[in-house]
This record gives sequence, C-alpha cells and structure tokens, in this order.
Amino acid sequence: MRTLIALLGMSLPLASSAESVTFIACPIYRDTDAGRKSGCWLADDPKTGRRYDVADALIKPILGREILVEGVVTARDANSCGGVILEPVSVSVLESQCKQHLIPAEGFPSRRFILPAKTLQPANIERAVPAGPYENREYSVYFELNGDFLLYQHSEVIIDDAVTYIRAAKPKRIIVTGYADTQGFDVAGRHISEPISIARARAAVLTEALLRLGVDKKAIVQRAEGGAPDDAMAQQGLKQAGKRRVTFRVEVASSK
Amino acid sequence: MKLPPQARRLTVIVSVLAVAGVTAVLATDPIDTKAGTDWWSPNDARPFPALNLYRNANGFSTTLNAAGVTTTKGHPFFTPLGSNGRACITCHQPSDGMGLSVESIRLRWRESQGKDPLFAAIDGSNCPSQPQGDAASHSLLLNRGLFRVFRPWPPMDREGKRIEPQFTVEVVRDPTGCNTGKQYGLQSSTPTLSVYRRPRPVANIKYVVSMGFAFEPKNGLPLPIDWETGKQTSFNLLADARAFTLRDQARDAMRDHLQRSAPATASDLDRIVEFEQQLFSAQSHDALGGSVTAEGAKGGPEVLRDESAGDLQYAGSPVWKEFLPWKLAKEGSQEQQAFRASVARGADLFANRTFLVWDAAGITSMQFGNPVRNSCAFCHNMQHTGMDVAPGQVDLGTTNEPFAKPAPELPLFKLTCKDNFKPHPHLGRVIYTQDPGFALSTGRCVDIGKITIQQMRGLSSRAPYFSNGSAATLREIVDFYDQRYNIRFAEQEKQDLTNLMSVL
Repeated sequence: MRTLIALLGMSLPLASSAESVTFIACPIYRDTDAGRKSGCWLADDPKTGRRYDVADALIKPILGREILVEGVVTARDANSCGGVILEPVSVSVLESQCKQHLIPAEGFPSRRFILPAKTLQPANIERAVPAGPYENREYSVYFELNGDFLLYQHSEVIIDDAVTYIRAAKPKRIIVTGYADTQGFDVAGRHISEPISIARARAAVLTEALLRLGVDKKAIVQRAEGGAPDDAMAQQGLKQAGKRRVTFRVEVASSK
Repeated sequence: MKLPPQARRLTVIVSVLAVAGVTAVLATDPIDTKAGTDWWSPNDARPFPALNLYRNANGFSTTLNAAGVTTTKGHPFFTPLGSNGRACITCHQPSDGMGLSVESIRLRWRESQGKDPLFAAIDGSNCPSQPQGDAASHSLLLNRGLFRVFRPWPPMDREGKRIEPQFTVEVVRDPTGCNTGKQYGLQSSTPTLSVYRRPRPVANIKYVVSMGFAFEPKNGLPLPIDWETGKQTSFNLLADARAFTLRDQARDAMRDHLQRSAPATASDLDRIVEFEQQLFSAQSHDALGGSVTAEGAKGGPEVLRDESAGDLQYAGSPVWKEFLPWKLAKEGSQEQQAFRASVARGADLFANRTFLVWDAAGITSMQFGNPVRNSCAFCHNMQHTGMDVAPGQVDLGTTNEPFAKPAPELPLFKLTCKDNFKPHPHLGRVIYTQDPGFALSTGRCVDIGKITIQQMRGLSSRAPYFSNGSAATLREIVDFYDQRYNIRFAEQEKQDLTNLMSVL
C-alpha cells in the first residue's frame, strides 16, 4: 500500500480545471489586527496586476524579500483580505530583496487564524500503535524553493505519524529520497531551478529527523534525485512545488 | 562564613516551620533580612533549609528545597571541585533565587575586598590578562553582573570535530582586550571568542528540562539527542545551548568556571543534578501586594513544585493565569488591592495584547512570516515559567544591532556571512553583535544573536536582566520590548507588566 500524505494536511478538490498561477512578487502585509497570526499576506501578479491572497501558504512571506507564488485560483470570498484567494498555494521566500509593503487594514477583516485539523501531539501523549499486518508505506514532505527546513506542525505531524508506524512495523529498510527541481521552469523571464545538492540536503535532514526520533540508522538508505514529478501535488495544481520534496519509503517486506 | 544573626534566625524559623508542615509562613509577614547579607560560601557546612526566605527590592522570594533539609558538608554543589575555590553555590545563591544579582556581587566585592573566589580571574574579571584585584578589571561583573564565557572558534561539534562556520568574525571593539589579545583571543594558539553573560538560576529545573513536544521547530528538526542516554533533550539550557543536559552543563561549569582539570566524577554529577532538580524558587511576598497566594492567586514556589512541567499555554489556560484571580482583589488596603489588580491586568496583557513581531530570527524565520502578529505569550508560552515549550533560541535584538542597547563597555563583533551560505534572513550578510549567541555553537548565520529563552520566575531576586544584563530593572525589560516592537504600551500598561514580573 502506498500512503501519500500531502503537504496541505487537508483534502482538497483536484484542480485540473482550475486556473493555476505562478509569479514572482514583492509581498504585501496587511495588518488587520484580528488576533494572533491574523494578518493578511498579499501579492500582486506583475503580469496581470491582479492581487492575490496567499495567506493559506504554509510558509508565510518575509517582508522585503521577493516571493515565488504558485497557487490555484479559488472562488472564495476575496473581501476578507482584499485579494483573490489562492488555495492551495505555495510560497517560497527568495533571497532577492524588494520594498517592504506594510499596509493598514483599510476595512478588510482578515481571516482569523485556525489551527490545522491535525496538530502535533505533546511528547507525553501515548501514540496509538497501528495494528498489523504491516505493509510498505511511503510518506512525503515538501519544501520551499532551495529549502531543506522541516515545517512546524505540517512536516512534524507527517514524520511523527511515520515514526509511530516505523516503531510498530519494525521495517527492514527505509529508503529516504531527496528530490530537487533540477530542470526548473521559467517565470517572469527568470529561470527557477534547484541544484542536486539541495536534494541531498533534504534527504540528510529527513534522515537526521528519523535518527533523533530513535529510528535505527542501519535501516536507512539515503538517495538523491532530480526532477521527479509528484502526482498528488500535480493534481492539486502545484506541479513544480511537488518536485521539491523528500519521500521516505518504509519497507516492511523486501520490495522488488 | 558566619551568618548574620538576622539571617540565621530566619533560616532556623523557616526550617522549623517547614518541618512542621506550616507552609503558610509565606502568607504571613516575613522576617526582615537583606539580600546579599547571607552569602553562601563553598564549604560553609551549614544545612540547606527546606525553605529559604530572602528580602529583595520588591518583597521576599522563597527557594523551596523539595527534599527537605540538605546536608551540604561534602556535597559537590557546595564544595570547591576545581582550582579557584569556587563551588556551584558561589554563583547560585539562595538569596538571589539561586541566580546572582549584581547587588549581591557588589556587596561581596566590598565584604571580601575583591578576594572572594567569585571574582576569579578566569571569568570573574573582564579578562584574565587584566590586573586582578582592581575593580576596573571586574567592571563587567560589578556593573552588569556579567561573567566571561569563552568559546572555541571555530566551534566544535559534540564529538569535538571542527564546524565550518558560515561567517567570518572581526573584532570591531573590545575594551576587555580578551578577544584581541594574543593569550586569550582569536589570534591565540587556541582561538577563543569571549562574550559576557549573566548566570541563569538553578531552580525550577524540571521546567527547563521538560520536553513539551518532540520537535524543535525553530531549527526544523526533532529535539537533539543526549550522547550519554540516547534520549532527546529539552534544548532549553544555557544562552547558546552548548550543553544539552544538566550533567553536560555541570561538566562545562566545572571546567570553565571552577577551573577543574580532571573529569567530573559520576557521583558528583549525580548529586549536583539531583540537588538542582529539587529546588523551586519564586517571589513569595510582595511589599505592596502581600502574599502571592492571597485571594486565590497561585504564585510562589509550591505551585512550581506541584504542577506538571512543559505544558503549553492557550487561550483557555493562559500563561500567568495564576494571578488572574487578582482581577477581583478586594481584601487589604486600597493600595494592596490596586497592586493586585495591576498584576492581574499585566497577566492579561502578557497573554492577549498583540503586536507585530519583527525580525526576531528563530520566530520570524521558521514559517510564521515576518512580521507576525502575536502577544508576549507567543514565545513565553510555557505554563508557570514563561519559557518556550517549542523550545529554542530567538534573536530578540538584545545583542544584535540595530536593536541592542549600545554598550561601549562590551566587545562588538562584525560577522560576515560567506558567499556560499545563505545570509541572515533579516539582517543580511554583515551583522554587528555584542554576542553571537547560539551561532557560537552552530556556526550558522541564521543563529547569530539568538539566545535561549529564559524562565521568568524569581526575577525580583536577580537583576539585571537579559543574557547581557542590558536591562537594569524590570521596567527596562518592558521598555525594551515596547521600543523594539513599537508596541506603544500606555504608561499604566507598562506598570502592570512590571508589577506582574515583580511577583513571578
């Protein structure tokens, strides 16, 4: 059985017929002051001038640094922040600097912060032991462009689930494969791609995470590849973002 | 050292009351004594009481010894284990909530004429190369309560292997001479970088070593592993997280602060760690507000002893809820009621007043965005201590320019991130800092100026504050944050937060 746990931690409609957008922009922070983590993150597509709401991205922008936006246009209410909502949406913070755009609420209410449906449980909470028989499973976690940082809550929940399974299933082998978008793509006259070294770094960080959680080092095989697409993310309209990932395959029985 | 009669009387009475189970002593008028008059020297051989009650500027603090009375004769915490005459107790005084206030340091200087082992050249002076016995050579300790912490440069990993740093270091200014001198500095035969830090209190340790979650999100990894036990560790020890466990911390202190050359014995480490974990310290009686357990409040050390550690605060159970009952204070004088209500407002503000958190690497570099709107409790989120459950290190700007308070008496370093590494997420490639903090352990640009978040209990006993002693008073802490994040607290709100911190 192949279990793919997507980045977004929620079931989303397939985006085959929805409009996808990819652009580079200078982020805008609208300070709506509607409670904790309530501010709006916006980005204007320089090609169309359309303003998008990217607040659903797992990685929020850093003001004054350009962002790569990859998202799917929704029909959700645009009046909460003043931009067309992208969902799902991936934001990568680039190194290139730009002007800091901090704007007031201007009457927009924002959206209140809502905890993800599934959050990491405290360490002292006993994890339910998955019942056997155990099968091969594959997990994926995703990264921003040129990033190898495991995301708070989202990656943590996936890894926590996986390690709970690994402890129960006692697999013979765990193949950790880091991927990078080495082929890349063009956006706004820029070629965006990743070096293969970032694939290795992603595999290394995932391996380190497993080791710190007590997984046997001898069971882990580490690999790095470039450019492999990810079907689940592609179906959600995030084809390129899906290439920035690490997968780890938990092999209970020997695979052919 | 002989105890002053008053302090002796206090200790005896409190011990007797504790043995009798009369912990209500905290709700009564404490006996008069002065902070710093009851200095514990190594080998004092007097018993360490179950309750240690001491006066400070805001009232009284109590350090509770959960094991009852401890015999200190021959106990490694109270015994000089190195060559300079210091013991752990030297820098972790009961009168100062098991930390060390600058007031006590100055008093000890006067009483001992600078001869106490506290002022050992190795780290109790600005630099061992300066003339010892001269107060000017100990100015950072006497004026700011700072000890020299010297780290190898480049840093070493846990196995002693050299870490390739992501940045270069230049000394812009160093009035101590320690970083520029040939004997102790970066150009010495064992290149060393000296920074100056406050000692952290040895109390409420179960909170410091608690692990709320298995992950350490500021670094994007699970919590690190203790090499001795193979178990995960809290990652909340020491400003730069160079020690993962209490045993490691004790080894580090014995080597660097006590100047012990031989390895620590397992027995000594066990006894030190055991003793540290049985101490709970907090303000117990406020000069204005009275007992911190009055009218339903749950301040003081007993609660710290009894509650579980590592719990995350949330809207329904905010941090410092211990003092929310004082919203309805109606007992005592008008002045007392007003103070208690102010503390409760401070607790409310701490948890709920939101503002934009900017450029605080560790928080604003991990995914939340920069800026992110939140309250003090965003980072200070552990119940009962205000530590960070997450856990980890954050650049509040206490040591990094442009936010650090100017301190011409401290070294200033220019760190330049190398071209083949990512620059600091907020400060770019060139960073000026008084203390690189966590980056001294990791060598990473993103960690420059990050300091492990401290516990907030017993603050009234151990001024000054922040790792570099840059806030002389509790009010200066509030002012720092107010300016740093442009919060614009009203004067009353500043006082409320100050009052809250004074009773922790």
